[in-house]
Amino acid sequence: MTGAAFRRLCVAREMLVSPAPRPASVRDVARTVGMSPFQFIRAFRAVFGETPYQVRTRARLDAARRLLALSDRSVTDVCFDVGFSSLGSFSDLFARRVGASPTAYRRRVRSGRADVAGDLQPGCLSLMAAAFAISEKRRDGD
Amino acid sequence: MRIKLTSVMVDDQAKALGFYTGVLGFVTKHDIPVGEYRWITVVAPGRDDLELALEPNANPAGKAFQDAMFKQAIPIAAFETDDLAADFTRLKASGVVFTQEPMKAGPVSIAVCADTCGNLIQLYQAG
Repeated sequence: MTGAAFRRLCVAREMLVSPAPRPASVRDVARTVGMSPFQFIRAFRAVFGETPYQVRTRARLDAARRLLALSDRSVTDVCFDVGFSSLGSFSDLFARRVGASPTAYRRRVRSGRADVAGDLQPGCLSLMAAAFAISEKRRDGD
Repeated sequence: MRIKLTSVMVDDQAKALGFYTGVLGFVTKHDIPVGEYRWITVVAPGRDDLELALEPNANPAGKAFQDAMFKQAIPIAAFETDDLAADFTRLKASGVVFTQEPMKAGPVSIAVCADTCGNLIQLYQAG
């Protein structure tokens, strides 16, 4: 891939993951970087391992998690803040990916049982310590 | 003291494990669930002396670093190969995107490809 094409895809990804009140469609993003939608989706996927839609959705869900954990915005406000336009589909998708509804997720991270910082901002080597503690416990249980 | 463990940040650990094992050809050494994340390390086939951890990039500080390096087309890790030309052909056939095709750089040959998880990886061969 040429340097110019690579840079165009980086610009496109930035457009897709940046929160915007009126987000550009994937078609618009493709046009902005001078590719046909088909060309764009194919090249994007080869470089980033996911379609433009998937990358956008992931970014929105990450933003929603942070807002739910750290702000007092209502679930509805969070939904629209991060770029979803339907509360129902936002809640369904959030529950599928995160394993808890937005409200349940907020309750969990605020109940004190979850480590909010660790949950939102895991550190690699702290994962190692936790992983070996877990597998040790499992072995002891056997 | 010795160097035994290094890591790359990835945007999705499941996708990363697929790429690093299924496409690059490394072997899973550890894969332990830790809450929402996993402790995953891979090793080169038949080698156990150096592990690469596939670290989630959920930490915004890490993500900012990763994104900036990627945009500047700077590789974040380098893997040595005995046959760069063969690996290049094999990886390209499986759809891997190269931002730098194999080229001589003094005593080594190098190539750079995208790991589909937000990083560029440099492959190099001595001699």
